[in-house]
Amino acid sequence: MIAPGGAGRRSRPGDSARWADRALAAVGLILATALGLLLPAAAGAHSQPYSFIDVRIDGGALHGRVTAHVVDLAHEALLPVPDSLLDAAFTRRNLAALEQVIDSHLQLEADGKPVRPRFGAFAVVPAKRSIGFEWTSDVREPVTLALKGPLFPYDPPHESYVNIYADGKLIHEDLLDHEHTAGAWGTGVRQTLGHVIRTFVLAGIHHIFIGPDHILFVVGLLLLGGSLMRLLKIVTAFTLAHTITLILATLRIVNPSPRIVEPAIALSIVTIGIETLIALHRRRDARARIAFGFGLVHGFGFASVLRDFGLPAGAMGWALGSFNLGVEVAQACIVLAVAPVFAWVRRKRPVIGDRLVTVTALIIIAAGACWFVQRLTAR
Amino acid sequence: MKLVPIASALLAGACALAAAAAPARAHEFWLAPSTYHAAPGDSVQLRVYVGTGFRGELKPYATTRTIAWAAKTSRMEDLRSTTSNADEIFGRWRASDGGGALAAYESNFVTIQLPAPEFDAYLKLEGLDEPLAERAKLGARAGDGRERYARCPKTWIAGADSKRVTTPVGQSIEIVPATDPTRPGPLTVRVLFKGEPLAGALVRAWNQKLANGWTPQDGAARDSVGPVAHARTNDHGVATLALSGTGEWMVSAVHMVPSSDPRSADWESYWASLTFARVPGRK
Repeated sequence: MIAPGGAGRRSRPGDSARWADRALAAVGLILATALGLLLPAAAGAHSQPYSFIDVRIDGGALHGRVTAHVVDLAHEALLPVPDSLLDAAFTRRNLAALEQVIDSHLQLEADGKPVRPRFGAFAVVPAKRSIGFEWTSDVREPVTLALKGPLFPYDPPHESYVNIYADGKLIHEDLLDHEHTAGAWGTGVRQTLGHVIRTFVLAGIHHIFIGPDHILFVVGLLLLGGSLMRLLKIVTAFTLAHTITLILATLRIVNPSPRIVEPAIALSIVTIGIETLIALHRRRDARARIAFGFGLVHGFGFASVLRDFGLPAGAMGWALGSFNLGVEVAQACIVLAVAPVFAWVRRKRPVIGDRLVTVTALIIIAAGACWFVQRLTAR
Repeated sequence: MKLVPIASALLAGACALAAAAAPARAHEFWLAPSTYHAAPGDSVQLRVYVGTGFRGELKPYATTRTIAWAAKTSRMEDLRSTTSNADEIFGRWRASDGGGALAAYESNFVTIQLPAPEFDAYLKLEGLDEPLAERAKLGARAGDGRERYARCPKTWIAGADSKRVTTPVGQSIEIVPATDPTRPGPLTVRVLFKGEPLAGALVRAWNQKLANGWTPQDGAARDSVGPVAHARTNDHGVATLALSGTGEWMVSAVHMVPSSDPRSADWESYWASLTFARVPGRK
């Protein structure tokens, strides 16, 4: 008998038994390995849960590259064997589905509008078990970019590395994950003053309308109604206060932790609700003072948004002023929508009006208290 | 009788599987230089691996995750400018003298949430007895494991000035060897948490073969191994590990405390590792 691995070597007693044992051990190892390969796949977990999003502005044109892991691509494109994508021919056959996956997951905006990528070449990156997709777009000279992520949120540990380049120079780096889910950046493209004003006014309006806490605080200030001068005084006090802290925080002169600011904003809502109930019965009005005091706190909240948005160098004052103007416009809309309704009901049906104010104040207190506890304990 | 080899192989496979299936969080995180020794003028590339059993996958550098990233030589050399976001080369360093360099990285926190049984199993696996006991006291009220973790790896690129490796660099958690770790024999280390000795920490050591000379193998292209030595730190934060033999070594420790930011997590953990090499013939 010729033993494996040694042509011509004579077999010795016990060789066959040892080889049988080795063969059985090999079977065991194969089974264990197969188990090992199958189980993580079944669990949906995979190593290197990363994607890479490069966004480039070259000569004003917006283009880039998305590099995604084969496991994520296969998962989203419903392909059974991820590593089959490492075969360029297989990937080419499934390119439409894969590009659809990237298209639907890449939430990139330029100047507030979604970017529709047009896909070009792709490349298999075996070292990363990934596929890179080149894309171009019709967008020219974007001033701001915003991206939501990560690219594959179905996988909790997934992280998207984001790099933004302008004419070959890396200008922004970020990492989007399950906690940090959005980024917004200025591109450094020279922007007109009109563009700065438009961008930041819209950002200010947007911030007020997406934040129920600010809306409720302003509504709380308006519940008791009053003359036009009275309401103007209250709203001006709020505006003056948040403008002060917005400037101080944006310029990083004062920079309190969100852990203090966010619960304090919730507390301001509770306070204005309680003050409304007290004032309803005692006929006092401390709203202007409350508006000023808590306006200082709300200003810090606005500043964190503005900082995330990125202030354009050289037009910082205009950006700050425009953002503040946007906040005022949104507040004015709330005043115009809410104040006349309460004033009309209280004038026509004073008893119902008082009840409406009481119920609304209680709702405001409850909402503020919920946010306060939630923000303090994060439970 | 013939079933014994199958059973052993299945057991080995199951162990590897258990390690692989361990919560992503329970993975070690270590720095691997392209060489563990540098002469003046030599360039060294530094990579980071994350994995179990001293086998892992490359972790790209993340600019926004980095709190500190520097090499201690005759001065502190900032390594952040030597890499960029998403680069698989975590840092690049050129030796200006023969004294060696201690490269040290610290990340900010990353949060994770695990189901209670998985979280408790991971605490047990990592020897985190205090959080485990706290959660046991709470019973079902302990709920899912809400944790945030920070990474604090170091690596010693050997040189003549052992003080560079035996003095702390100020990481949140840090393993500080009492002597040059590249010398043969048992290794005594101090574990510091926020600058103070950490008592009761489980310190473990792993060993892998070097590719050649001072060059490590590819951390992703090798088999997982179990820890070869472990010890708990005493009241002075000191533990002695019975290391023997040559190769690439990783010493690690983890510490978990109640989270200082209860909004994001109930617990926060700090992961320290120190990598170095021991080569034949060095005394």
